[in-house]
Amino acid sequence: MTREQHSAQATARPPVLRARGITKAFPGVLALDGVDLEVEEAEVHAVLGQNGAGKTTLMNVLFGLVQPDAGEVYLRGRRVRFRSPHDALAHGIGMVHQTRKLVAAHTVLENLVLGHPRARGLLDLHAARRELRSLCQRYGVHVDLDARVWQLPEGEKQWVEILKALYAGARILILDEPTSALTPPEVQVLLRALRNLVEEHGVTVLLVTHKLPVIRAVARTVTVLRAGRAVARLPVSEASDQELVQLMVGQEVALPGLPTDTPRGGVLLEVEDLCAYNDKGQLSLRGVSFSAHEGEIVGVAGVTGNGQDELAQVLAGLRPAASGRVRLAGRDITHLRPLDRWRLGMGYVPADRSEVATVAAFSLVDNVGLNYHFDPEICRRGLLDRGRLERLTRRILATFRVKAPHPYVQARHLSGGNLQKLVVGRVLSRQPRVVVAHLPTQGLDVEAATFVRGRLLEAKSRGAAVVLISEDLDEVFAVSDRVGALYEGRFVALVPRHQTDPETVGAWMAGLAGRDR
Amino acid sequence: MSELLVRSLEASTVFLLAALGELVNQRSGVLNVGVEGLMLFGGTAAFVVAKSSASYALGLGAGVAVGALLGGVHGVFSIRLRGDQVISGMGLWVLSFGLTTYLGSPHTGPLGLPPFPTFAGLSPFVHAGVLLVVAVWFVLSRTSLGLAIRSAGENPAAAAASGVNVPAVRYLCVVFGGTLAGLAGAAYTLSYNPVWNYNFLMGWGFVSLALVFFSMWNPWILLGGSVLFGAMWQLSLNPEYVLPGVLSRYVWRTVPFLVTVVTLTVISTPWFRTRWGLAKPQALGVPYSD
Amino acid sequence: MRFGAWELSVERAEGASPARVAVGALVAVALALLLASALFWTPEAGPWAAYRIAFGYAFANPSGLGATVHRAAYLLLCTLAFLVPLRGGLWNIGLPGQVYAGALAAFGVAFWAGAREAAAPGPWLLLMPLAAALAGSAVGALVGLLRAKLDLNEILVTMMLNSVLFWLVADFIKEGGALMSATAEGESFTLPQDFRPPLLLGLPPTAFLALAASVASDFVFSRTAAGYRVRTYGLNPQAARYAGIDPLRVSVGVFVAGGAFAGLAGYHYFTAVPGLYKIPTNYGYYGDLSFYGMICALIARGSAVGAVPMALMFAGLSVGGRFAQGALRLPFGVDYAILGLLMTTFVLSHLVDRYGFRWRRISPPRAARPQPEEAR
Repeated sequence: MTREQHSAQATARPPVLRARGITKAFPGVLALDGVDLEVEEAEVHAVLGQNGAGKTTLMNVLFGLVQPDAGEVYLRGRRVRFRSPHDALAHGIGMVHQTRKLVAAHTVLENLVLGHPRARGLLDLHAARRELRSLCQRYGVHVDLDARVWQLPEGEKQWVEILKALYAGARILILDEPTSALTPPEVQVLLRALRNLVEEHGVTVLLVTHKLPVIRAVARTVTVLRAGRAVARLPVSEASDQELVQLMVGQEVALPGLPTDTPRGGVLLEVEDLCAYNDKGQLSLRGVSFSAHEGEIVGVAGVTGNGQDELAQVLAGLRPAASGRVRLAGRDITHLRPLDRWRLGMGYVPADRSEVATVAAFSLVDNVGLNYHFDPEICRRGLLDRGRLERLTRRILATFRVKAPHPYVQARHLSGGNLQKLVVGRVLSRQPRVVVAHLPTQGLDVEAATFVRGRLLEAKSRGAAVVLISEDLDEVFAVSDRVGALYEGRFVALVPRHQTDPETVGAWMAGLAGRDR
Repeated sequence: MSELLVRSLEASTVFLLAALGELVNQRSGVLNVGVEGLMLFGGTAAFVVAKSSASYALGLGAGVAVGALLGGVHGVFSIRLRGDQVISGMGLWVLSFGLTTYLGSPHTGPLGLPPFPTFAGLSPFVHAGVLLVVAVWFVLSRTSLGLAIRSAGENPAAAAASGVNVPAVRYLCVVFGGTLAGLAGAAYTLSYNPVWNYNFLMGWGFVSLALVFFSMWNPWILLGGSVLFGAMWQLSLNPEYVLPGVLSRYVWRTVPFLVTVVTLTVISTPWFRTRWGLAKPQALGVPYSD
Repeated sequence: MRFGAWELSVERAEGASPARVAVGALVAVALALLLASALFWTPEAGPWAAYRIAFGYAFANPSGLGATVHRAAYLLLCTLAFLVPLRGGLWNIGLPGQVYAGALAAFGVAFWAGAREAAAPGPWLLLMPLAAALAGSAVGALVGLLRAKLDLNEILVTMMLNSVLFWLVADFIKEGGALMSATAEGESFTLPQDFRPPLLLGLPPTAFLALAASVASDFVFSRTAAGYRVRTYGLNPQAARYAGIDPLRVSVGVFVAGGAFAGLAGYHYFTAVPGLYKIPTNYGYYGDLSFYGMICALIARGSAVGAVPMALMFAGLSVGGRFAQGALRLPFGVDYAILGLLMTTFVLSHLVDRYGFRWRRISPPRAARPQPEEAR
């Protein structure tokens, strides 16, 4: 408290953006509870918080996407009320969302012009092109205005979004988790550019993140959100990492020590020169070879879109291999159908738990059936044994600590974490010999994520070979025995975890270290 | 022979008007599988009003208004209430099929007015159709409204984040689509074939829907497709122009429908898809909520 | 709306309880009848006279009751033809076409057996329904195949095939077509006695088959692995693929089954129901009646047994409605008007159970209980 007062006194200029007592309730959840925020001109102000702390909701309020139930927003001391993003843009506030808000099929130019305050009536693309060229020059950005957005790498798409906000006249830039889809080098480029925007051009940046290094690198002030409340506002230079984590989490979090060393057994999964096409017909998996042993977790790091989807799907039998071989315990399964793979002991946890791994309108019992409808224990002479399926479901709910009122509740009523525990529990309950887990903890809170990782480790100590495909380097390093990275459909390297470090793998993810090394 | 040409163009126009409206609909992300219903209702309203008032203008107005109204109903269901667009579209079709059968049947028979006025030897609907193609093309590709429409159909979340009022854009498009469907129905019952019969369309609306898919959502290709289908339709009614005496006239009637299925099949083959790309709006048929 | 720590909101309430579905169905039907009564208003008779006459004829008059039951069996078969693909998420609006295919196949067998000239008993009685089912299945299989292999919109394809088969029937029964009656233009020959299926309790065997198939359908969908796979595919094709369910087998399977039911419906109505035994001039009217099957399946929400009373009632409505039309000099198409209104009220009822009022306590975001729709 004293520190907050101290920093408030230190503020010489009035805040450019101020929010007071912002409250917002969604059905059943109070997302924001009287949040105050003060941002000064030409600074990078970080908003720190865990998933679900209300960061994105707060930003959506400031950008006019969400109307608060209570509270006021002041811009340069004047009360403002944004009914839509249009209003916010007209007041010079731009936002870059966590998920890309670009029309993939359109050109960069069309995306930049869309919704521009001056774009009324006829489209004058020539004038827009001229203006954008000079804008790019001023900020030192190089973007191909005529490229289709889907052709661009993630880092450039992010630039298109920032450029779009600046082109629309934004002087205050809200960036929601801007680093989440970027490789470490792309992150460095972005942070450098943000510093430049603030220092050279006087832009104010509101940066939402849960990553401390990012805050350390660019932010001057940080506001910490926890459970819908602003719990602290303090200069970054005066806060220790320890302190920030504690403010963010609310208590000491002790992550259980994870056992990782199990004697490695024989080869269970062999992948040989595997190639596959993506949905657009491009060869996006280009000759991947690796093996996974009994009692081993192979961590595959990489930025989304470098062949991870295709690798997971080819292993699960959901996508044909263009060439190459996959062997499970010595048996060639390259051309086997998914069910035959399940029967041979393959288990697959897909990346999308709510659209692919479960049926929202099904009860939990029926959802467990997704991995059992072919199992002779459950399905006899074409008839489903519902009693057995229910008992099995109850067992999974208990063992995997799924919080659900009863097994017949519809899956759509489960939170993300509980749904994922159900999916992982269902797959692991089959005692698979090989587990392919794709982004198994994405979007989960710390507790659920730790639990899921623990179960993967348990499967490994049981003797399963686990292929963990993840974007989270910390996760990959926490549980894997060997670590590799996918870049443009190829494995950059695959080495024992002890022989490398996150920085090196981060460089692999960005395609910096050559395969020849 | 020139009679055949004129009739072909008039048939093409009915397809074109309905399909053009549906094209705009779909570019904004809303699928209306009930075009046939909107055409039936618009056509019946136009016919009944024109017959009772002896005025083509009133009939035309009634047809267009009914089409716009039903388009708006589809909009409320699929935009405001975020319902399943297929259910709503099928609902509109069955509703129109059922109600027009009842409401129109006392008026079964010819319209009984002097023939619809022509302009340069053609029904003015033909000219209107071509002008509308130009207008739709221009708006979609050259104006910021068009960019907003296309963006709403590709990625409504991105459009909304850019400040586009997605629901408003989509309402505009569904009402426009309904208006053109009503106009197409009126063109059928007032000019192309001014005789009212039970379920007189028998699939014209569904063929128009297919034409939108064939056109790859491009108004100019749609114009070409409509002209081809109109000609084919007219020939299927008068097969003696092509192959006199071969097969019964009933078998010829199946040709446009079979060609539709075959064309749909061809454009859906992987070979075609990879070469021509799929211009299908990404968010087509997906309810949008922010 | 908030009231202190409590709030009231209108939300999407996904997944309605069976009781709510049943109430929704009844409300939809009642509302449709109410709306229709406005259409049938005549100054002399008032709004309810039409219903009194219609239902009186359909359910209390012996000849009316017979027609109602025959039609109910027809509608029930059409219901199954729509319902089975619907459980797999596919719309079979090709009911008329498949009905025509069934009728053509049945009459084709009879023609081939020489039924037009002389009547000789033979295995035809069994072959005719079999051919009808197969013909419907063949049409369905094409749709299912195109859907699964090339992702063709099944609504468009079935609709196109409806028109194709409509004109094919015309080709066979008009202007000297192979199946044309020797005595009357524009209709098929009448089946001789030996080609008509025997009646049990005054009903053709297809009526019993329809009932049995309804019970079987509900059993298959709730208890068997095959039914489970179809349901999974219907609700989430991606999850079905993940679960190793073959999309080709599901879509071809449901359309083959659906087509068979529609083919049998065609057999039932044109060759097994007393008083007809031919493809009449206005076969298009009977074909379009099959859309009532679509409404039955939709309002019964996929339960075939639940659709039985629905089919009986709509059969009564359409038979009685036609009668009342004559008695009250109403315009043609009373039955279709009701069909249209039913579809509308169904769409409305569909909404009613997706939205509901919620009254609950506002809890802080970190409550230790499952929260709906959070953190996807």
